[in-house]
Amino acid sequence: MTALLEVRGLRKHYRAVRRGLRRLFARQQTGTVRAVDDVSFVLQAGQTLGLVGESGCGKTTTARSILDLVRADAGEVRLDGQDVRPVLAGTDRAAMLAVRRRMQYVFQDPYLSLNPRWTINEALREPLRVHAPQHQRDWGDRIATLLERVGLEPRNGVRYPHEFSGGQRQRVGIARALAVEPDVVLLDEPVSSLDISVRSQILNLLAALQDQLSVAYLYISHDLSSVRFISTHVAVMYLGRIVEIGAVDEIFARPRHHYTAALISAIPVPSPGAVDQRVHLRGEVPSAMNRPAGCPFHPRCAAALPICREQVPVLQPMGPNTQAACHNPA
Amino acid sequence: MDADFASSPVSVLATLQRPPAGVWRQAWHRFRRNRAGMIGLVLVTLVVLTAIIGPFVAPYDPNDNAAMLRGASNAAPSARNWLGTDRNGYDVLSRTIYGAPTALAVGLGAMLIASLIGVLVGGVAGYVGGFTDEALMRGAEFFMVVPVFVVILAVVRLFGIIVVGTPLERIPNFNLMTIILLLGLFSWPQIARMTRAEFLRLRHAEFVEAARCIGTTPREILFRHILPNALPPLIVLVALGIGGAILAEAMVSFLGFGDPKSISWGQILFFNYQSLKVAPWACLAPGTAIFVTVLGFNLLADGLTDAFNPRVRA
Repeated sequence: MTALLEVRGLRKHYRAVRRGLRRLFARQQTGTVRAVDDVSFVLQAGQTLGLVGESGCGKTTTARSILDLVRADAGEVRLDGQDVRPVLAGTDRAAMLAVRRRMQYVFQDPYLSLNPRWTINEALREPLRVHAPQHQRDWGDRIATLLERVGLEPRNGVRYPHEFSGGQRQRVGIARALAVEPDVVLLDEPVSSLDISVRSQILNLLAALQDQLSVAYLYISHDLSSVRFISTHVAVMYLGRIVEIGAVDEIFARPRHHYTAALISAIPVPSPGAVDQRVHLRGEVPSAMNRPAGCPFHPRCAAALPICREQVPVLQPMGPNTQAACHNPA
Repeated sequence: MDADFASSPVSVLATLQRPPAGVWRQAWHRFRRNRAGMIGLVLVTLVVLTAIIGPFVAPYDPNDNAAMLRGASNAAPSARNWLGTDRNGYDVLSRTIYGAPTALAVGLGAMLIASLIGVLVGGVAGYVGGFTDEALMRGAEFFMVVPVFVVILAVVRLFGIIVVGTPLERIPNFNLMTIILLLGLFSWPQIARMTRAEFLRLRHAEFVEAARCIGTTPREILFRHILPNALPPLIVLVALGIGGAILAEAMVSFLGFGDPKSISWGQILFFNYQSLKVAPWACLAPGTAIFVTVLGFNLLADGLTDAFNPRVRA
C-alpha cells in the first residue's frame, strides 16, 4: 500500500554567504546551516503526524519544503507514490494546481497570514477562484458552509481580518486551507500564537474536522501536550534530523532517545505535589551551522558513549512501531 | 448569499452594527480627525477648484496687458483690478488664477512620470532581487546624486537652441513639458526605494506565501496582494513630491528658465521682483499662491502618513 504522503531524504542547507556587492570582494563561504538534513517520514490517510522539536530545529523548513515554499536541495515528496517536488517547481500549471489542491498549509500567525485588505469572504474566495473557477455560482454557498464548519457565522464574512480575534482568524486560516478539500493539511504551529484558553478550542476544532473530513495532518509544534492530544504518530526533530519517530502512545510511554525523554519530562504535570522527575539538559542547542560531530545530541546527553562522539546514529527499530537514532537507547 | 442575508431578520442587527471598515475607510476615519491633514486637504481642494473653474471666472484674459497702454501698469489694487496690475500691465489676479492649472500640471505630471518609473523599477528590484536589485538600485542612486537644477537649466537652454527651426518648435508649452519630464525623471528614485522596501517586506509576508500555497498566479499575487498593500506609503511620497515639483518649477521659472508661453507663478515673480518696492502686490499674490499650494500638499502628505499608520489609533 502506498502511503498518502511520503517524504524521503528531504534536505535543505542554507549557505551563510555575504550578500550583494560585498560578495564580489569576499568570496569565501562562511558556513552551512543544515536546517533540514535527510528527513524521512510517512503519513497515512486520516492520520496525524506530530513534528516536534525546539525552535530552529527545522520543523517549519520541512513543512515549507514539502509545499515548495522553500526549495529543498534534495529528497522526494511522494503524494500517493508520485514525486511532487518537480511538479511544484515545474511549469505545468494544471499539474501544479492538482497537487496544491490536495495539500494545504495553515500558517502559524493568523495576524500575518490574511491579507489585511481583503474581507473574510474575499480571502475564502481566492482558493475557489484558483481551483474551481467554473463553479462561480456556488462560491457563496461554499464560503458560508466553510465558515460554519470552522465555527464562524457566515454573516461575518463581510468583515476584515483586523476585526477578529486571533482564534477567529486562525479559524479563517483553517477554512481557507479546507476550501479546496485537501487530503493533507500541514499545520505549522497553528495554536502557538494564540491564548491558552483559545488553543484547546482550535485543537478540538481540528480534531473534529479530521473526523468529518478524514483529512491527514502534519502537525508541527513545540508543545508536546498538544501533540499528544491530536497526533497518532510523532516525529522528534533535533538540529535538522529526526531522532525518534513512531506511534504516539509508544513513544510517550517509553521514549528511547534521550532527547525525547527530556522533552516529555518537561511537560508540566497538572497536579500539585507531583514529584519533579524532570530530566534537565545541560547546555544549549548548538547552532545548526556547526553541528557537533557524531550524534548531534551527544554534548548534552547524559548517556553519551565514546562512539556517540564519532559516529552519527541512524534510525533503527526500537519497538513494534517506533524508530530512534541512538547508540545507547534508554 | 448576500441576497438572503439582506432579507433575513439578522440583517437588521447587522445594519445596527457599525459598518465593516476597510483599510481605506479606516484611514479616512483617522484622517478626518487630523487637523493639519484636513487643512492640507482644504488648501489642495482650493487650488484644484481654482485651476478648474478659475479660467471661467477670471476677470481678464491672462495675456491682456491693455492696462500698460493706458499707463496703468504697477497700479494698486482697485475695483477694476482687484489685486492690481504688474509692471507689464497684466491683471495680477487673473495671472495668478491662470497659474494654478500650470502648477498642478507640473506637480501631477512630474509625479505621474516619477510614480510610473519608480514603481516599475522598485517593484522589479524588490520582487526579483539578487543582481537585478543591485543594478537597479545603483542606477537609482545615480539619479539621486545628480543635481536636478543644473540639469534642468542646461537642458532647457540647450533645447531652446536646438528646437529652433524644427517641428518641435510648434508644440505648445514645449519648455514646460521639458521641465515636467526632467522633474519626473529625477524624482523617481525615492519612490523606487520605497516600492522596493515594501515589495521586499511583502514578498515574504505570510499572506503572500499563503496565496502561493493555494496556487495563485504570480501576476495576481503582485497586483492583488503586494501592490495594494504597498500603496499607502507611496501615496504619501507622491503627495509630498507634488509640492516639491511645484516648488522646483517655480524656482526654475524664477531664474528665467521657465516657459515664456505658459503662465507660472515662478515666472510672474521673475517678471516682477524688480518692482517689488513699487508694486509689492504683483509679487505677493503669486508668492502666496505658491506658499498655499506647497503647504497644502505637504500638510496633506503629513495627514496621510498618520492616517495610514495603524499604530496611531486616535
